[in-house]
Amino acid sequence: MTSDLNMADRIELRRFVGRELLLWLWLESELFEATLSTKEHGSFGLWLEGRLVLDEGKESTTIKGTSPGLHREAKESLLRGKTPERAGIHLSFGDHECTLTLRGETLAFGGLLPPKKEKEPEALTLDAPPPRPKKKRKEENADAILADDAFYDRIYFARDVEALTTALYRDFLALRLSPAWDKTVVPAMKAWVAGKDVDAGRYRTARSRVIPSARTGP
Amino acid sequence: MKPLEPEDEEPERSGWSKIGEPFVVDLTHEDVFFNEYVNLGFRTDRWKLSPSLVKKALRDAEAAYLEKKGREKLSRTEKSELKLMVTKKLRRAADPATRVVDVSWSLNEGVVRFFSHATKPGTQMMDLFKKTFGLTLVPESPYTLAERIGLDKAQKTAWSDMEMTSLADRAARRPELDYAAEEE
Repeated sequence: MTSDLNMADRIELRRFVGRELLLWLWLESELFEATLSTKEHGSFGLWLEGRLVLDEGKESTTIKGTSPGLHREAKESLLRGKTPERAGIHLSFGDHECTLTLRGETLAFGGLLPPKKEKEPEALTLDAPPPRPKKKRKEENADAILADDAFYDRIYFARDVEALTTALYRDFLALRLSPAWDKTVVPAMKAWVAGKDVDAGRYRTARSRVIPSARTGP
Repeated sequence: MKPLEPEDEEPERSGWSKIGEPFVVDLTHEDVFFNEYVNLGFRTDRWKLSPSLVKKALRDAEAAYLEKKGREKLSRTEKSELKLMVTKKLRRAADPATRVVDVSWSLNEGVVRFFSHATKPGTQMMDLFKKTFGLTLVPESPYTLAERIGLDKAQKTAWSDMEMTSLADRAARRPELDYAAEEE
């Protein structure tokens, strides 16, 4: 990939690709009514939520709300040449519901919290003896184990979300680096931004010729 | 990690600690390795003394020194020595501020996860990582992820040639210029 350039240049010159990923996710989440899919993950929920930041040079627009992408100002910003710098995203996949902020130029997550674990209710028995006070050492060990659990929960959850966004990025690249981008995606984006109707079925058909279809359910 | 002491000259120092336990700095194999992960806390100690407190203490120390010596002015060297002495004294009465960011290196994936977006700790961690492990980290970007995913030959060519997609509407973007052009 662009072999005459050094690594730093190769990185800098393609930062816009991450912004286009956000733009594409935004488009598809609206076209497919917040239900996207990848080959590995099947169908899942994805929509813009919270904060959407678009900019061009020093000019920046921040839109906050439950559906910032639907805001009139959001599409107007695109028409003015701004692109998404970061977007709040709601994900609903497997048993997980979470929100995160995805930054276009670094593909870094922010504000990703693993879903809270529900505490198992303690069994109540009337005849049971009162619990014995635990020794301090045991309490310290228990705290350390809980802290470890929380850390690994966070790591594994971050890895799951990364796997999902990586699969989305791979699909996006398949489309972005194919002739279908200019032929199908860009015209659809232009119509969508202008507030015109986009034929989601036709778009899906063209898309499925490039991107491997999602696995079917078990 | 060598914790910051009042006598140390540097105002800030970073190092590795046990994950979740920033004050455990003598690390064992069990503290660091978990299956295919190397987990560490990136700890930074920093002296945070209130400038007004330092100023007042310095003023008091200067006045006491001048009175003791029976003089009216301090030399530049005396001033800087007094400042150092006052700073160390204040540090002895306080603890440095400690900040920790979790680092998890997945050996199988070849990926290091750093749980902070701030630029300064990110850069410092990468420097320390290079010193400790002899490896240079490259922050994630659209380019690096595309490399890891792997592109075929046609995709690589398209990647080299592609230009940014613009949805900008000329009329929406530069209304004043268009208007002027129409008038001409």
